[in-house]
Amino acid sequence: MWGALAVGALVAVLAGFARASMRRLVVAAGAALVAVYIAFPFSTTVGFVSRDTIRPTLLGLTPLQPLLAVVFIAAMTAMVVALRSPRAGGLTAVAAAGASLAAILAWRAQPPVLVHLLPLGGLMEVLTALVLGAAIAAAGWGSRRLRWPLLGLGLVAGILTGVLLLSPTGHRLFPNAVGYYRLVTKTSSAEQETIVEAYNANLDVTNSQRQRIGLRPLPPIESTAGLATERLPEEAAATGYRMLRPAEGGYGVGVAFLLCGLLLGSGVMLAAKPRLTSTNDLVTGLVYATALVVLTPAFASTRFSLGKIVEGWPFLLNFLDRAWPPLLTDPNYGQFGLFPLQEVASQMLITLEIALVGTFLGALFAVPLSFLAARNLTADNPLMRVAFVITRGFFNLDRGVDTLILALIFVAAVGLGPLAGVLAMAIHSIADLGKLYSESIENVDRGPIEALESVGAAGSNVVRWAILPQVSPLFLGWTLYRFEINFRVSIVLGLVGAGGIGFFIQDKMASGKYDQMIIAIIAIVIVVNIIDFVSSWLRGKLV
Amino acid sequence: MIEVSNLSKVFPDGTKALSDVNVSVPDGDFIAVIGLSGAGKSTFLRCLNRLVEPSAGSITVGSRDVARLRGRQLQHYRRTVGFIFQQFNLVQRLSVLDNVLSGRLGYHPTWRGLLALYTEVDRELAMSAIREVGLSGKEDARVDQLSGGQQQRVAIARAMAQEPQLILADEPMASLDPRLSDVILGILRNYNETKGVTVLVNIHVLDLAKRYAKRVLAFNKGKLVFDGPVSSLDDDLETRIYAGSLEAL
Repeated sequence: MWGALAVGALVAVLAGFARASMRRLVVAAGAALVAVYIAFPFSTTVGFVSRDTIRPTLLGLTPLQPLLAVVFIAAMTAMVVALRSPRAGGLTAVAAAGASLAAILAWRAQPPVLVHLLPLGGLMEVLTALVLGAAIAAAGWGSRRLRWPLLGLGLVAGILTGVLLLSPTGHRLFPNAVGYYRLVTKTSSAEQETIVEAYNANLDVTNSQRQRIGLRPLPPIESTAGLATERLPEEAAATGYRMLRPAEGGYGVGVAFLLCGLLLGSGVMLAAKPRLTSTNDLVTGLVYATALVVLTPAFASTRFSLGKIVEGWPFLLNFLDRAWPPLLTDPNYGQFGLFPLQEVASQMLITLEIALVGTFLGALFAVPLSFLAARNLTADNPLMRVAFVITRGFFNLDRGVDTLILALIFVAAVGLGPLAGVLAMAIHSIADLGKLYSESIENVDRGPIEALESVGAAGSNVVRWAILPQVSPLFLGWTLYRFEINFRVSIVLGLVGAGGIGFFIQDKMASGKYDQMIIAIIAIVIVVNIIDFVSSWLRGKLV
Repeated sequence: MIEVSNLSKVFPDGTKALSDVNVSVPDGDFIAVIGLSGAGKSTFLRCLNRLVEPSAGSITVGSRDVARLRGRQLQHYRRTVGFIFQQFNLVQRLSVLDNVLSGRLGYHPTWRGLLALYTEVDRELAMSAIREVGLSGKEDARVDQLSGGQQQRVAIARAMAQEPQLILADEPMASLDPRLSDVILGILRNYNETKGVTVLVNIHVLDLAKRYAKRVLAFNKGKLVFDGPVSSLDDDLETRIYAGSLEAL
């Protein structure tokens, strides 16, 4: 927490000495702090089971602790003042950071308290519909031609989404959206007493359960303060009561401290050197803020942690220890002997062959299809236009389904082995190559086409003599490039049972034979590099 | 004999490139088309072989109106018209011979063209055209290895290989060294004189037009403002033809 504050301040000060715009940082930190206030989890409320745990945002806590609104007001003020006058903005930013920190610290110092959550039915649904509609409308706002059609589309999409989400079908599809936003309200002493009684009445059952799994029995409590670290009674949790623990924050706390640090650092620098501004500070600042606001929840929800790597370090060492030295061959093993190096060589060859056949088949079908998918060749007549739309549609659909997923399906259809891999690779490559090919066709020099039309050549001869000579080296280049990718894909294909070196790795990994698996890994590194080198050398020769 | 009457062209964006052009061209004429850039010279030439669709009017070649031709008939008309482009429009990665042979594509069924099954006659025509433009020995060179002047000569050979009745050249020297103009125009005039083929050349250098052409067509803002022998071009006329050139600058 304090570390985050220090990091934020340090970054700002260093950037300031590097003459970066401090006003931009103030705007970025202010905007991000507003987003944190509205949307980031800041405390924890606990019910009966872990599912009951809800992490309210600062906005959600403000009705309970109006002082928290200071964070929002201070951040907004700092932004606005900084944009108007740099020196005053710097001072305001320092004051805003101080005020926000004070409000947050005051909040976190409070003891746990019993609250009642009142679901705001329909709010989430309506907000989703509004955001979707507004996003569609905003996408077309810049273009005069698209403005009104997209506004209409946004309106229709927004209304339809709202109606769907609010309908019983919507509630069945997205149960979490029902009453997602809740109002945190204080509880009366009468309510608190009821819950204390309910807790104490149920204590016998709880304690007998705890005894069975070897935990110490709990004493009865006198007030809700005794629930500070305990679960609520089941019934109370089901009717919306929660213990709110101000000091147990979500990731919002860390981010808020970081932003306060940034605001503090950049505020001081801006007040000292008001010339540290730049054009477009508002827009760039908002871009920084957006990046931060998008990234932090992503880190939080992927549970990113450097600590885990430190924790797992001994296991990594253990793995390497067991993998080295590689077991290349052991002719005396069992009845038939064991020849891992030999097997890696054979499987590597199969992997390579899957990539070769898959790429070849893909290219074979992609070449004719790509002409149908080229805008410039299909513009003249309506029938070709239809073919264009269908082919492009097929390409886009096919490109969306990764080779690995196709391989899973083909393994189910044609069984384990390289054939499934080849089919999956060929089908995915058709779309990928087809798109690249057709873009090459769209970029050909129009001159020779015009020249051949002017000598009276038929359409297919124009393609043959004016377009094909221009695009064939490009086609070849794209095919080689796709082959490079396909080779790396075919390594992984084995993991889903579609043949090749991947299967060897999976097999040896599962049976803990790391000293055999390591051979495959080394072989892959070598072969991948050789293929990339050769392929790019060849592609260089083509131009 | 080419009879152009009431030819007009309005582009989709509303630009009036040609308005009501009437010209009659007897066989074997050598005509320079002059005028400012944007005056409609290029559009006029491109209408003659239908690279540009005329909006109105007729173009009678022999006895038929080629402004209305479609599909196969249009291809059959086009193969008799050689067109030489300012940017050569050759396929850079193919050999000189392949480029010149492609001038014969209009004379064969599509499948023969696709398989490059040219006849002996085609090959001889192509070789003699290459000889005529002075590129003997370069038949197998790739076009992108030739100089600009050589490339334009390949393009002329391609047009000659068509055995055309009419050659249209759209500023054939504009992207070349000025000293090469005499080479290019010399080849065209020689071809016109020996084969009796009608030639129309767009030129923006008046001096060249005077030296090579028998007759001049001048355009200004889409209108034909002068049609007559080179000798009758005087200063007064020239000012009229190039009227507005200062504003254009």
